[in-house]
Amino acid sequence: MSNSPAAASSRSKLSLDTWAVLVALAAAALIRFGVIPKIPW
Amino acid sequence: MADAIVLPQNPPISLGARFFRLIPGVALLAAIGFAGKLLEKNINAYSKANHLTFPNIEYVLWAILIGLVISNVFGLAEIFKPGVATYEFWLKAGIVLLGSRFLLGDVAKLGGVSLALVIIEIAGSLAFMTFLGRLFGLRPKLTSLLAVGSAVCGVSAIIATKGAIDADDEDSSFAIAAILALGAIALFTFPLIGHALHLSDQAYGVWAGLAVDNTAEATAAGALYSDAAAKLAVLTKTCRNALIGFIVLGYAIYWASRGQAQNVTNKAAFLWQKFPKFVLGFLLVSVLATVGFFTKDQNASLANLSRWAFLLTFAGVGLRTNFREMRKQGLRPFAVGVIGEVAIALFTLVLVVGAARLFHF
Repeated sequence: MSNSPAAASSRSKLSLDTWAVLVALAAAALIRFGVIPKIPW
Repeated sequence: MADAIVLPQNPPISLGARFFRLIPGVALLAAIGFAGKLLEKNINAYSKANHLTFPNIEYVLWAILIGLVISNVFGLAEIFKPGVATYEFWLKAGIVLLGSRFLLGDVAKLGGVSLALVIIEIAGSLAFMTFLGRLFGLRPKLTSLLAVGSAVCGVSAIIATKGAIDADDEDSSFAIAAILALGAIALFTFPLIGHALHLSDQAYGVWAGLAVDNTAEATAAGALYSDAAAKLAVLTKTCRNALIGFIVLGYAIYWASRGQAQNVTNKAAFLWQKFPKFVLGFLLVSVLATVGFFTKDQNASLANLSRWAFLLTFAGVGLRTNFREMRKQGLRPFAVGVIGEVAIALFTLVLVVGAARLFHF
């Protein structure tokens, strides 16, 4: 496995879609397990 | 669909610095969205208290209008641009969270009808836009970009296709400008047409999802009608988005066969790369909601969080719409876009009205 900066950069570069899914799922988990009890509108 | 969050890379800056550069723009999105919400609430309260007849203007429209004024009258300062560019991120996160409002049975039923309509819409739109492009003598690759942008999913589809068929930057700029301009027009015309024709929330939502090209504008056009219409617009648009990989692959193979694009060696990897991952996130949250993973209150919180995410998106739609920039792109691609979009809007309206009678929605 290469440790060059370029390789590290390409490894860490997730697509916008993937970031959106990960953040949304993390938020859903926080709500599900009671860390965020309620989101008002 | 698979655009990475790209910030200026020269000179290289750390992840932390890149994160901090997003804050002013995201704060601006939030401030505009919240101002839209406050305006709706306060104007309604004032009208009621003073017995005035004032049309109910939804927060969606206020957020878009405030964004449009800032972008077109004052211009958007550089410091806000990286954060404002995250509006697509909020859109996709919002769609994933919206999955909590769909039980899997609804997705299968409504999604099945939507998918059938989407396939008809895509085939008709691709054929018609290709015909129009040839009729107006547009460059062939520009015609391909406009056809994909109109048929599938707007800017994301154009960017994905541009890379796959080695199109010029100029062609993709033309196509993106035309699609964005038409999306802005659709935002204001679709709700008026829907109300004039007394379309049901479901029929209107499916129509907006089929005929409005960019996902952000399709969601906003749905939300301007009603919450229920926004749900259906997102579901239908998600069906369109899910097909992007197949359409882009088809165009890539076509242009490669003419020696004007690189061959696609691994078709499965190509499809996965182009597949919008937020569709999978949406389905996963829908499955979790269906099996009772969330309580009723938690489902309500997820739905509210989705609305907050969309609020940032709507502010971003206004902020990134710059009519001066669009005018610079020339008239012919815009004319092809207008004729094509009007025809597609009429064609899909007939489809939806027919399907609504057949499937009773």
